[in-house]
Amino acid sequence: MKPAPFSYERPRDLSAALSMLAASSGSAKIIAGGQSLGPMLNLRLVQPELIVDISGLSELKRAEVSGNELVLGALVTHADIEDGRTADVTRGAMRAVAANIAYRAVRNRGTIGGSLSHADPAADWVSAFAALGARLTLRNLAGARMMAIEAFVVGALESALHAGEIVESVHVPARTVSSHWGYAKSCRKTGEFAHAIGAVLVDPAAASARIVIGAIDTTPIVVTEAAELFGGRIAADYKQRFDTRVADALLAKAGIDDAAQRHIHVSVLKRAVLEAAA
Amino acid sequence: MTTIALHVNRRAVELSAEPRTSLADFVRDRLDLTGTHLGCEHGVCGACTVLLDGVPARSCITYAVACEGADVTTIEGLDEDEVTTELRAAFTREHALQCGYCTPGMLVAARDLVLRLPDADERRIRVGLSGNLCRCTGYVGIVRAVQSVIEARRARNIAPQADAGRTHLGPAGSGRATSTRDEPRRATQASAPASESAAPGRIPDFTPATVLDQRFTLPHPPAKVFAMFDDIAAIAACLPGVSLTAPPKPERVVGLIRVRLGPIAAAFEGAARVERDPATLSGRIVGIGTDQRSHSATQGEIRYRLVPLEGGAATAVELSIGYTLTGMLAQFGRPGLVRDLARRLIAEFAGNLDRHMSGASPEQAAELSFWSIASDVLRARLARMFGRVFTGKGGAE
Repeated sequence: MKPAPFSYERPRDLSAALSMLAASSGSAKIIAGGQSLGPMLNLRLVQPELIVDISGLSELKRAEVSGNELVLGALVTHADIEDGRTADVTRGAMRAVAANIAYRAVRNRGTIGGSLSHADPAADWVSAFAALGARLTLRNLAGARMMAIEAFVVGALESALHAGEIVESVHVPARTVSSHWGYAKSCRKTGEFAHAIGAVLVDPAAASARIVIGAIDTTPIVVTEAAELFGGRIAADYKQRFDTRVADALLAKAGIDDAAQRHIHVSVLKRAVLEAAA
Repeated sequence: MTTIALHVNRRAVELSAEPRTSLADFVRDRLDLTGTHLGCEHGVCGACTVLLDGVPARSCITYAVACEGADVTTIEGLDEDEVTTELRAAFTREHALQCGYCTPGMLVAARDLVLRLPDADERRIRVGLSGNLCRCTGYVGIVRAVQSVIEARRARNIAPQADAGRTHLGPAGSGRATSTRDEPRRATQASAPASESAAPGRIPDFTPATVLDQRFTLPHPPAKVFAMFDDIAAIAACLPGVSLTAPPKPERVVGLIRVRLGPIAAAFEGAARVERDPATLSGRIVGIGTDQRSHSATQGEIRYRLVPLEGGAATAVELSIGYTLTGMLAQFGRPGLVRDLARRLIAEFAGNLDRHMSGASPEQAAELSFWSIASDVLRARLARMFGRVFTGKGGAE
């Protein structure tokens, strides 16, 4: 259970990190808190020649409200969010998600940028940020680009990151006062990766919703035109109108053939809807 | 191999290790701090949980090299910790362990819950401990133990601290390292000359685990004594067991201290730096040393202040000696015994100083030979100490 040998560099700043990544032509891995990469290194599932440790880069440790959104640097940890060391524009939604990721000893080191880059479909932020409508800034030596979270995870452990590119920051839009939030997950054991995630952001006043069915072993299902899930209309009575058959059909369409699995996902999503309406 | 400098249980450590060495292997194999246990080695079982910058972290999936400059506290470093002391008593009372393999990680996680949880809610405690697996107890005793400590502390009006006092963003343990590349480091030095903070061989400040105050007088004026204290080679010659291995400079004095304690012989190789303040006739010596044979290490600090006596004809030397000892030898180091040792050492030092300043050469002492003339009291203490060690009750208590 020891990693294969690797070289190790601790760059001085982000541009030095990007230069190291670019020079490595794909044989390097970025490490931040190491809570996803560490186990994979120990299990020798990943054997990079070079590890570039960005955990000390202060430029990735910022958290500031800019206009109508919160900008979080990639190195902000789950515990930073859980404890409220970062501002919260989501009226507690992010804090509650963060508090239930893995275990406290993991949350003290695990980062949002690392979790997203790892692109595990069962990771909480992949689903939660998608429901909140967050975007990412990705940066390489040539410059930066922005991307919606739901476009970022392209498959199990597969992200849209190009070679030489890293997640720089997450942009979380402020949650409107009239919106409701619900988040539920099913884990075989507390703290383990989820087998099903439901994330729901419903704004009955604006007749809009973002619904995410996550932890389905591939890119989460993100529904932004969600009226059909609520009988064609999103209003104050959305809890009563939630249509499990439509959710089941979405899962079948996404390739979940096992009816029992679909049932678990639908049930967890329903819990999230009930929590939002509570 | 990469040189890694960090603090473990309040003492500065500088050792080389492969980048792939986990923090757990580093403290176990290099520092003999085997209280940190390894179970799953991929972050699931919690046996390896230690404090990193004061908060729990998995030492099996945290690489030592990534902890450059960080503060690591293992279970050995929590011997005197108030919350952990209460938890140990509660674990004993509630039968919260059987084989004990999970217990070091369990105590670190439980300590965090005691500090952070507002009340002794069973569900929150169980969720909070879900990252620490125990195969013996069924958790019932562990949960009761944690509940009882939280209840007792809240009843004593000790408030919870939900964020465990952490104020920085980013991974615990990160942020105090410099970069590894030569080019950027040179560039940094050019623009900011004060960037030597993590340069290899630097002797860091530390918080001593034990502090002893001592005082002796010399029949010489303070100014003369203070000038004498500036002659590092002469001072070293007056210190029993000390020999220098290179010409001393105030910023770095390299040498060896031999100590013999009954059957235990140690030779601490290390370095010190010397600071002086002529305005207050005071100064400070800070040093670190390791004994290869016993894998033990010590960190020490001597602060001195010279006070005029008898209208300036004589000098009182006020010493404050702080030290931290870790590794195998720390199991034998009882504060009472070390206080005895320090008193004898200082008496010999004072005698040598006086002889040197009066023109005589100090008595050479290759080792702390006074052990050979140890009093009956001291012998009795040693016998009791080894009695405890060999009956297995000396280590952790």
